[in-house]
Amino acid sequence: MKKPRVVNKRIDDDLLMKKRREELDKWPTGKEVDFEEAAAYQKSLPDSKVWSKVMVKLREEGRMSVFPRAGTPVLEKMIELCQGLRESGVVLIPVTTDSYTRLGQYEKVQGILDECNRTGKALLNGYPIINQGVKQTRKLVESVDAAFSPRGISSEITIASGLTTYESGLEFITWGAYSKKMTIRELVERWQNATRVAGWYADRDVILCTDLHGWLPTAPFPLSVNIVTLILQALTAAEQGQKSLYPLVHCMGNMAQDMAWIRLAPRLIREYLDKFDYKDCLIPGCCPAQTPLFPNPMDMGGAFAYLNYIAIVGALTKCNAVDLRSIDEAAGVPTKDTNTVSYGSARWIFDVIREQDIEIYVKGVDEEEKVTETEVRAIMDRILDLGDGDVIDGTIKAVEAGVLDSPWSPNITVKDKVLGVRDAHGACRYLEFGNLPFPSEIKEFHRRKIAEREKLEGKKADYHTAVRDLWSFSKGKIVGLPPYDK
Amino acid sequence: MKRVPTVITGTVGMDAHVIGTKVLSRALRDAGFKVVELGMQVTPEEFISVAQETKADAILMSSLYGMAELDLKDFNHKRMEAGLGDVLLYIGGNLVIGRYDPREIEPKFKALGFDRVYPPGAEPEIGIEDLKKDLKAKGKM
Repeated sequence: MKKPRVVNKRIDDDLLMKKRREELDKWPTGKEVDFEEAAAYQKSLPDSKVWSKVMVKLREEGRMSVFPRAGTPVLEKMIELCQGLRESGVVLIPVTTDSYTRLGQYEKVQGILDECNRTGKALLNGYPIINQGVKQTRKLVESVDAAFSPRGISSEITIASGLTTYESGLEFITWGAYSKKMTIRELVERWQNATRVAGWYADRDVILCTDLHGWLPTAPFPLSVNIVTLILQALTAAEQGQKSLYPLVHCMGNMAQDMAWIRLAPRLIREYLDKFDYKDCLIPGCCPAQTPLFPNPMDMGGAFAYLNYIAIVGALTKCNAVDLRSIDEAAGVPTKDTNTVSYGSARWIFDVIREQDIEIYVKGVDEEEKVTETEVRAIMDRILDLGDGDVIDGTIKAVEAGVLDSPWSPNITVKDKVLGVRDAHGACRYLEFGNLPFPSEIKEFHRRKIAEREKLEGKKADYHTAVRDLWSFSKGKIVGLPPYDK
Repeated sequence: MKRVPTVITGTVGMDAHVIGTKVLSRALRDAGFKVVELGMQVTPEEFISVAQETKADAILMSSLYGMAELDLKDFNHKRMEAGLGDVLLYIGGNLVIGRYDPREIEPKFKALGFDRVYPPGAEPEIGIEDLKKDLKAKGKM
């Protein structure tokens, strides 16, 4: 039997309401959610707690904020942690959930949370927002003058609690970087269902913002596939009624490329949203993100330098937010103190560099932007072709055909016919193109750049070069000349 | 005919950091081993059942998220029960949460039944040389 076609079409209201209740019935705190009351509570929040508005204000005032990661189980301690972040200048505050909450193991969480509350100890690696529920979490939101965003959970409990972004929890990142067996068809269906909830609130003038991760470049790999998936997610979310979204741009360490991608991603997302007539979907900002492998836990100097590199790129490209991890990222759960020193150092960069409003010219940015743009358009054209104009249908077929592909994916349904290496300047290039539908001059460009490195090193780039490059950024050496990691 | 040893690879528990085990699997294949590549998020039970099924000579686990000790609490006991006492056990990665001295980690995991323990970023070639040596010592290569 032929499988029914998944199309980029809005999910109907009856189906939506049924799914929403089913989701909330998974734990007793779901009963605390009254949909209309949740919308009314959201509308009562001051602008300083509305993510989308905070981002727009930062942009208009030429300022920026760290978007950190933070979560601890006991409410009072969580309030303290978030107040600490606010004091160090953070106005975009995460509510990072613990691993068990992310896996839906609420009963297990309850036992541990009870013990945390009894002993005051943090036995979970995040804030268990489902078990804490609406009443408790509103206390957190009302205690700190900042906008809140849930991390690692997609639930209306977060909306009813006054968090003003909505994470679908099911993006390309979930499928391509964290899932072993999920098919692309399953992913897009779930993504549509989740973003439809944000659409329901938008119909009631509650604008929930979503940050788009796209398909993570898990290793040195050009960002064109990632930017295509950002566009695809934006178009799908907008069809479900989402009115505010912004991209995270995964910085890979070559400054010309990182700056080019930060310019390109929001510009192309805007263009495609307009082209498909989702003109009222706002992009309130752009957020460079610290994504590749971290320095090992003992290398604190490297961890500081790495987070500040991303902060500098964000400051020079005049972004309004930067997604940063603390120096404890590789070691485990950050403490209040490591958060303070980590984000304090980023804040220092913002204050010194961003405030200068520097107009900087980095050689190569224009060329990198043009190359990636050509690649993105080539893939988008092929997707729309495969889907006969339908974005969803085209996405599914593109993944199945390797027109969208990534190296090193844990997902066994991914083709994995592509590979990236760095060039003589540390920029990410395609070593193997797989079925990516690039024009010949683009392929030639990548080959030429790789050849420059081959000449310097006196050997052909191959799979083993790609393997050595996996550690390049985390070891603080992105130009792969020998002696490589001495 | 020369005997080709069978080895199992994968990340243990709920760890999604798959690249290390992918790199290692290919290096093992290139070095002539038969590799049963289980990929990410392999339960201890799955390692045991696949080892029985494939008559594996070694299990090479990866873990980067710091919770390996928790994941492997009962593993040694279970593999002994399953009659896999002769299977070599290697593990590598970021094996505990927090900053640590790698020298403190090795005894911990040796006590859990592991023959060899590697720090994060260890070269596959080192593990493969050790594996050849250990298999030869057991007369399996």
